[in-house]
Amino acid sequence: MSAAEVTTPFVRRRRPATVRRKRFLLAVANHAVLIAAAIAFLAPIGFMLLTSLMTSDQALSARLWPQPFAWHNFVDVFTTAPIWRWTLNTLQYSVLATIGVLVSSVPVAYALARLRWRGRNVAFMIVLIALMLPPQVSVVPLYVMWAKLHLVGTLWPVIIPNWLGDAFSIFLLRQFFLTIPEEYLDAARVDGCGELRILYTVVVRLAKPAIAAVALFSFLYTFNDFFLPLLYTGENAHHWVLQIGLSEFRSLHQVQWNLTMAATLVVMAPVIVIFFLAQKAFVEGVTLTGVKG
Amino acid sequence: MKRVALFAALVAVVVGAAAAVAGGARQASPTKLTVWVGWSAGHELTVFKQVAAEYDKAHPDITLSIVGGITDTKIVAAIRSGQAPDVVSSFNSYNVGIYCGTGAWRDLAPFMAKSHIKASMFPAATLYYTQYEGKRCALPLLADTYGLYYNKTLFKKAGITQPPKTMSELAADAKKLTQKNKDGSFKVVGLDPMIGFYENVPERWVAAFGGKWTDAKGNSTLATSPGWAKWLTWHKSLLDWYGYKNLVKFQAGLGDEFSSSMAFEIGKLAMVMDGEWRVAFIQNEHPELNYGTAPLPVDDAHPELYGSGYINGTIIGLPKNGGHVDQAWDLVKYLTTNTHALAVLSNGLRNVPSTSASTHSKELTPDSHFAPFLKIFAHPKSGTSPITASGQSYINLVQQFVIKYQAGKVKDLAAGLRDTDKQLDAQVKQAKGGGGVP
Amino acid sequence: MLLLMSPWLVGFSVFFGYPLVMSAYLSLHHYDLLSPPRWVGLANYRYLFFTDPQVGAAVKNTLWMIAVLVPLQVLFALGVALMLARARRGIGLFRTIFYLPALTPPVAATLGFVYILNPVTGPVNNILKRIGIDGPLWFQDPSWAKPSLVILGLWGVGNTMVIFLAAVLDVPQHLYESAELDGANWLQRLRWVTLPTISPVILFAVILGVIQGLQYFTQAYVAGNIASGQASQAADVTSVGLGYPEDSTLFYPVLLYQHGFSDFQMGYASAMAMLLLAVSFAVTLVIVLNSRRWVHHAAGALK
Repeated sequence: MSAAEVTTPFVRRRRPATVRRKRFLLAVANHAVLIAAAIAFLAPIGFMLLTSLMTSDQALSARLWPQPFAWHNFVDVFTTAPIWRWTLNTLQYSVLATIGVLVSSVPVAYALARLRWRGRNVAFMIVLIALMLPPQVSVVPLYVMWAKLHLVGTLWPVIIPNWLGDAFSIFLLRQFFLTIPEEYLDAARVDGCGELRILYTVVVRLAKPAIAAVALFSFLYTFNDFFLPLLYTGENAHHWVLQIGLSEFRSLHQVQWNLTMAATLVVMAPVIVIFFLAQKAFVEGVTLTGVKG
Repeated sequence: MKRVALFAALVAVVVGAAAAVAGGARQASPTKLTVWVGWSAGHELTVFKQVAAEYDKAHPDITLSIVGGITDTKIVAAIRSGQAPDVVSSFNSYNVGIYCGTGAWRDLAPFMAKSHIKASMFPAATLYYTQYEGKRCALPLLADTYGLYYNKTLFKKAGITQPPKTMSELAADAKKLTQKNKDGSFKVVGLDPMIGFYENVPERWVAAFGGKWTDAKGNSTLATSPGWAKWLTWHKSLLDWYGYKNLVKFQAGLGDEFSSSMAFEIGKLAMVMDGEWRVAFIQNEHPELNYGTAPLPVDDAHPELYGSGYINGTIIGLPKNGGHVDQAWDLVKYLTTNTHALAVLSNGLRNVPSTSASTHSKELTPDSHFAPFLKIFAHPKSGTSPITASGQSYINLVQQFVIKYQAGKVKDLAAGLRDTDKQLDAQVKQAKGGGGVP
Repeated sequence: MLLLMSPWLVGFSVFFGYPLVMSAYLSLHHYDLLSPPRWVGLANYRYLFFTDPQVGAAVKNTLWMIAVLVPLQVLFALGVALMLARARRGIGLFRTIFYLPALTPPVAATLGFVYILNPVTGPVNNILKRIGIDGPLWFQDPSWAKPSLVILGLWGVGNTMVIFLAAVLDVPQHLYESAELDGANWLQRLRWVTLPTISPVILFAVILGVIQGLQYFTQAYVAGNIASGQASQAADVTSVGLGYPEDSTLFYPVLLYQHGFSDFQMGYASAMAMLLLAVSFAVTLVIVLNSRRWVHHAAGALK
C-alpha cells in the first residue's frame, strides 16, 4: 500500500530500550482504544440481537438478557408480515436498477474519459453538479409527471431513472477509465475497431474491478433506499420494499420491540452477507471513490 | 338480391348470437366494486366485511372488494395518480375542506336528489363535517364521540364513589388514583392528559371548556375565546403535578394503543379519555375489566356543558376518477342510510349510528357501557372542529402549539394564542391560494 | 459519441433539467395535484420567508446537523483511521467491524437505535442506571433528539473511515522519514506531513458530508415517527409524528416532504425546493473556494 521511495539507504540505528518500551506501550494503548471502539461499534447490533430473542413482555421490561431464548421470533417475523413480498419488490427494484446503471453509465463514463469532443469538460461539470443536488429539489415535479403517467404506486418511477445514467457511477467509472493506458485503446483502434467495440471488448474487461464496485454500490444503495420508495409506493402496500415495510412493521402489527428487532436484523442480514462475500470489491471500490476523487 | 338478403340474414344471426352471448357474459361476470375503508384492527374489518357480504349476496351483479387500513394520504395518492377505487372512506373529516373544495370527492348533491336522500336524515353535527362551503362531497358513516372511561376497581380502592363531573374533580381524582413504585416511577397513573398520548388531542378536550375555534367570519379565535386559556391552564397544572418528563418516561414503556396491552385495559391507567369504540375492544380483549363510562367532565364554570362531547366520524364518498359511479353510489346510499346495515355496524364496531332513524333502531343491542356515548351524540351542545381549506394541517398547527406549551416552551400563553391565531388565518389564506403575510 | 452519451443526455434533461424548470414554475402556483395549478405569484415565497411557523426550526435544525455532524464525523473517522494505520495486527478485522454499520440500511439502523435508546426499556439507560447515572430521554427529549441522531450518524462513519485509512496508508514513507530526520515528533508529523497530504480526501469527505446533511431525511423521518409512536402509542393520524419531539427532528427536507405530500401544498413545496437548491449551490461553492487555502493538490488529483 505505501509506496516507499528509497532514494538513499536509510540505516536505522537500534533504539535504546526506553524508547522501545515507550513505543510498545503506545502500541498497546492504541490497540486498547481500538478494541474499545470496536466493542462500542458492535454493541448496538449485540443489543438488537438480544432483544430479538426476548418474549414480548420481557422486551417491554428493563431486562438485558433474554430468558428463555425465543428463537421462534425469527420465524414469527415471516408469518406476521409479508416479508417475502417485500423482498421480491426490493429485488425487483435493486436488480433492475443496478443493471440499468451499468448499461447506461459505462458508455457515458467512457465518452467523458477517453473520447475527445467539444464540451466534454462542461458535461463533466454538469455531472458533478447533478451529484450535489439534493433529490428533494426535483421531487415535486417528477412526482407530478409520474402521477400523470399513472405510475405512482408502482416501483417504475424509482427504477426507470437508473436506466438513464447515474451521476455517482458515471463519476466513479470516469475516474477509473482515465487510468487506462492509451496504448490499449490505440492498438484496438489501429485494428479497425469502432469506439463501441473498443468499449465492450477492451475497456470493460480492464475495468472489471471498477464495474464490480459500481454494481455493488448500486445494489446496496437501492436496497437501502427509503425516500424514493416511500414517495412512490408508500401508499400502496402491495409494492412496499423491505425498508418501507420495516419502518411500518411496529405500527402495522401492534407488535412489541422483540419482533421489531428481529425484523430489523432480518433486513440487515442480506447486506452483511453480501459484504462478506464481496469484501475485497467493496473496499477497493470505496478507496476508488475517495482517493482517486 | 337473394344473395344479399341471405348475407344480411347471416350477419343478423351472427350479431344476434354475439349480443346474446355478450349479454349472457355481462350477466355472468359481475361488476367489481373496490371499497377502501379505514378499519384494520382486530374485529373491526371483519364486522365491516360482514355487512359488505350481506350486500354482496343481495346484489348478484356486484362483487365487493374491501381494502382496509386506508389513511387520507393513501386516498389522496390514489386520486392523484388516477388509480382511485370506486368508493373511499376516511376515519376523520379533517380533510373534507380539501376533498370538497378541489372536487377530489364527487359532489353528492345530484346523487342524493336522484335517490331522494334528504340531508335531514342525518344529525346536524354530522352534516357540518361532511361538506365545505355548501358543497357536500361526503356522507357520514357512523360517528364517534368521546367520553371518560374509569376503572371501577381502582375507584373503590381510592374511595371514590362516582365519576368526576367537573374538571377540578377530575384533577383531584387523578391525583388520588396515582400510585408510585418504590423507585419513584409510576405504577398507576390516574389520568394522563398529555396531548399526543393515545387519543388526547386538543379538539376533544377544549370542547369541555366551551372553547370556540372560529368566529362568524371564519377567523381563528383561540386567543379571544376564554375556553382555550382555561383549558390549557388546567391542563398544564395537572401535567406539572406529574412532572412532564416523568410522564414521558411512563408513556415510553406502555403497550400500543390498539394492542391488548393498552394501558387502561391492563389497569395502568385509572381513567382515560377515549372514543366510544373502546367498548368493543375491551369486550374482545379484556371482558373481565370492571369499568364504567361517563361523559367527559366539564369546566366548573360551565356545568350546563356536562353531557356533551366532541363529535367526529367516519365519512364515505366517491372519488372523482373512480369507476362504476352509479353502482358505487348505490352502495354508499345503502351503507349510510340503511337502518339494518347501520345497526349491525354499530353493534359490532360500537360506533354511533349516523342517521336519526338508526339511533332508534330496534336491532341495536343495548350496552350499559355504550349508552352514555349515544347520549353524548344526541346532546345539543356537542360539537365538532372546523372544516377549513387547509384540512388536517389546520388541526395539526393547533396541536403543535399545545405540545410546545405543555413542554413549558411558551412563557406567555395569551401572546402564544394570539400568534397561533395569526398563523392559522395565514395558513388558511395560503391554502386557498393567495396567502402570505396577513 | 452521441450514442454513448445518449442515455445520460435523456436522463439529464428529463430528471434534472425538466424538474428544475418545473419546480421554478410550480413555486409560483398553488398546486395540490387534485385540481389545476392556480397562479399566486410570489405568495409562496412570502409565506416561506415570513409566515410559515415551522420553517425557522427546519432551517436551524438542518444547519445545526451540518455544523455538528460533519466535523464530528470527519474527526472521528480520521482518528480511527490514524489509529488503525499505526496498528500492526488485525487491521482487516477492525476495518470490517468499523465499516459494517455504514452498510446497514438507514431505516434498520435508526429503528435499532431508537429502541436501544428507549428511556425506559432500552439497554443503554438500563446500563447507565446500574452505574448510577440517570439517563436522558434520548429520542423523547427535544434537547437530546438531535444528539441521538448524531450518535447514529457516528456509528455509520465506516465509509469515510475506510477512505481515510487508504489515504493515510498512501502517504509516502519518505516524507515521514525526512520529517523524523528534522526531529519532528508524532504530533508535528501529523500536522505537517499526514494532514496536508490527505487534505484533498478530507475536502472530499467534508463536501460529501455537507451534501448529505442538506438531504438528511430518512433517519429523521423514521426516528420521529417511531419515537412519537412510542410516546403516543397511537396508531392513527391524531398525533403529529414528523419532527417529534417538538419539531426538534424537523429538518428542511422533512418539512418539504410534509408540505408537498401530506399538506396538499406542492406549489409551496416547490418554493422550498428552490430555496434548498440555492443554499446547496452556495454552500458547496463556499467550501470549494475556501478549500484552496488549506488543500494541497497533488498532481492531477481533483477534477
